Amino acid sequence: MRIAWPHMGSLEFVLGSVFEELGLDYVLPPPNSQRTLELGARFGPEFACFPLKTTLGNFIEALEAGADTLIMVAGRGPCRFGYYAETQRRILSEAGYEFEMVPLEFEPSRIPLTIKRLKRLKQGRPWASLYRAIKFALHKAHLIDRLEQQALHQRWLDRDKGATTEALKRCYRLVWEAGSYQELARAEEEAFALLCSVPQVEREEIRIGIVGEFYLVLEPYFNLNVEEQLGDLGAYVERNIYLTDWLRPSGERPVLGHHEHASERLAAPYLSHKVGGEGVFSVGDTILFQHLGFDGVVQLMPFTCMPETIAKSILPQVSQHLGIPVLSLVIDELTGMAGVATRLEAFADLARFRRRTCSDQRGLAPQPAF
Amino acid sequence: MRVGIPGGLLYYRYGRLWNSFLQALGAEVVESGETTRSILNSGASKAENESCLPVKVFYGHVLALKDRVDALFVPRLVSVKRRTHTCPKMLGLPDMARAAAGERVPVISPTIDFQSGLWHNYRAVYSLGRIFTPDPRRIVAAGVTAWREHRLYLERLTLGLDHQGALKGEAERLLCEGRDLRIGVIGHHYNVYDTFTTMSLLERLGSMGVDVMTADMVPEKLRERELRRLPKDIYWSYEQEVAGAILACSRYRLVDGIIFMISFPCGPDSIVRVLCEQENRRMGGVPMLTLVMDEHTGEGGFLTRIEAFVDMLWRRKRRESEELEAVAG
Repeated sequence: MRIAWPHMGSLEFVLGSVFEELGLDYVLPPPNSQRTLELGARFGPEFACFPLKTTLGNFIEALEAGADTLIMVAGRGPCRFGYYAETQRRILSEAGYEFEMVPLEFEPSRIPLTIKRLKRLKQGRPWASLYRAIKFALHKAHLIDRLEQQALHQRWLDRDKGATTEALKRCYRLVWEAGSYQELARAEEEAFALLCSVPQVEREEIRIGIVGEFYLVLEPYFNLNVEEQLGDLGAYVERNIYLTDWLRPSGERPVLGHHEHASERLAAPYLSHKVGGEGVFSVGDTILFQHLGFDGVVQLMPFTCMPETIAKSILPQVSQHLGIPVLSLVIDELTGMAGVATRLEAFADLARFRRRTCSDQRGLAPQPAF
Repeated sequence: MRVGIPGGLLYYRYGRLWNSFLQALGAEVVESGETTRSILNSGASKAENESCLPVKVFYGHVLALKDRVDALFVPRLVSVKRRTHTCPKMLGLPDMARAAAGERVPVISPTIDFQSGLWHNYRAVYSLGRIFTPDPRRIVAAGVTAWREHRLYLERLTLGLDHQGALKGEAERLLCEGRDLRIGVIGHHYNVYDTFTTMSLLERLGSMGVDVMTADMVPEKLRERELRRLPKDIYWSYEQEVAGAILACSRYRLVDGIIFMISFPCGPDSIVRVLCEQENRRMGGVPMLTLVMDEHTGEGGFLTRIEAFVDMLWRRKRRESEELEAVAG
């Protein structure tokens, strides 16, 4: 049984660590590439959302690399994500691949089924060691998230472009190599020291928040490195979701430091009901970022994503009321790097001018309606 | 109080219910009527580019109404059946309507959610009634009449009247009259019954001498049975109806061919389409044409495909009957 799962940001370190601990065989699909995208778009349904296609591409590449068991999270909507596993199983089996799809569902009525599936996946390893492995992996995830956050916060001060990104890559290695809690604690110290040792210069500060659909926010290859680009443009960046936050069932967000409910409450005047996915949080966190004094918010959404489309239709209203500029980037397999880079550049400039005008106490020009 | 009901999306299912309930409460109901080119254009320019066609149409209806009414009526239907959801766009519809109509026009949006039980829904409807009248008996009576009318409307749909016919309670001819060729036109209510965006497909098929079977006309029992066969149940209420109808049509050969109406870029439909097409192929079912509509769909291309599909079905039918005769003879 060779297990594989799709890429999503630092998920490979987390799940990889679980399987390493248990000593199980797994296949890491090749890193996301143009080919992943092309495969996904060729086999995937025409206007299915973007993550379905990219994860489908990952699966195909994993199967080519010798995987035979695919893990995917499933659910009960209302967003399409809950039906990914089933749709991908159908598409792949019709394309002639031999494999087993293991959808993991975490809603109460499906827990017994999930336990049964986990039992198959762990292949006779004791539950206690599975629990220990997952707990350790979550600790690693939490550390990685904090490191990523630190990188987002300091990248704009880099003296040499790309230095923080390089340091972050070395930090990933450090965390990955840690095999026990003591080593992890040491890795934490070393990693933070490494990030802090990146030479910095004085710059004029602007703050830009990133909100949107979690897959796109977490997956740097497919969001065209928005975080890095913004950082290089001189923006202090914060994003509204980290892997640990997403994995928490309680809605607590330890990395970001607020509870989901806070975001929902803020969104209520504009969007008063959960719409699946991160729709409500995109609206709520935009307001939150405004309260925290951010100069702009970038919304990332995959093309045809339903919850984000709703958020996108409501955000102009939020933006007008609160006076925070919002840039919605719709990303699909045809999105070009140059177009996104130009828009981000213009957006960073806009945020900078706004901050200067605000600090000069001059009134802002009235915002256009759309 | 003048209340506007935008004639898009779920209006094509609950329009009758909402209209008669509000009227029985003493409200003056203004409907935006049929979709027109100008409604679609104004909606498409106001709505987000990524929205699906029915949402753009809905925006158009909201914009057409907002200056003529005191309030808009856009209920939030979270779930109409246990263990299912409606599409996310319907969950956010009142908020989108609010964003489209501006602050001047209030949006009345009771939340209907069958996952939280009947009492919750009763409260929602009752507090909606209290906006118009303080008399509890009148609210209950209005609810009962409206529900009765709604049942009648749905029953007429199952008998083979189209949306307009079912509203009026009479039609010159039925969609299904027992002609030789029968085509299943399956899709969401707002995709099938909207005469403008579908370019009066149902009527055209009728005048081509073809019987039409809609998802409503497929017996519910067959639909449910098909859904139970699926390895993972579909969790969108209206999608269940569509998928169940297509699968039942193809398994029991209720029709000679299926036209699956999808609007671009409908989220749930993109998933259900994979499922239906694959199951249909596996069962060796009936020919299936998937029509994706958007605001740029040209009449010419649309008609050509329909005509070609119908011709193909006729040819198939003739060949089958010839083969039958040859076997019998």
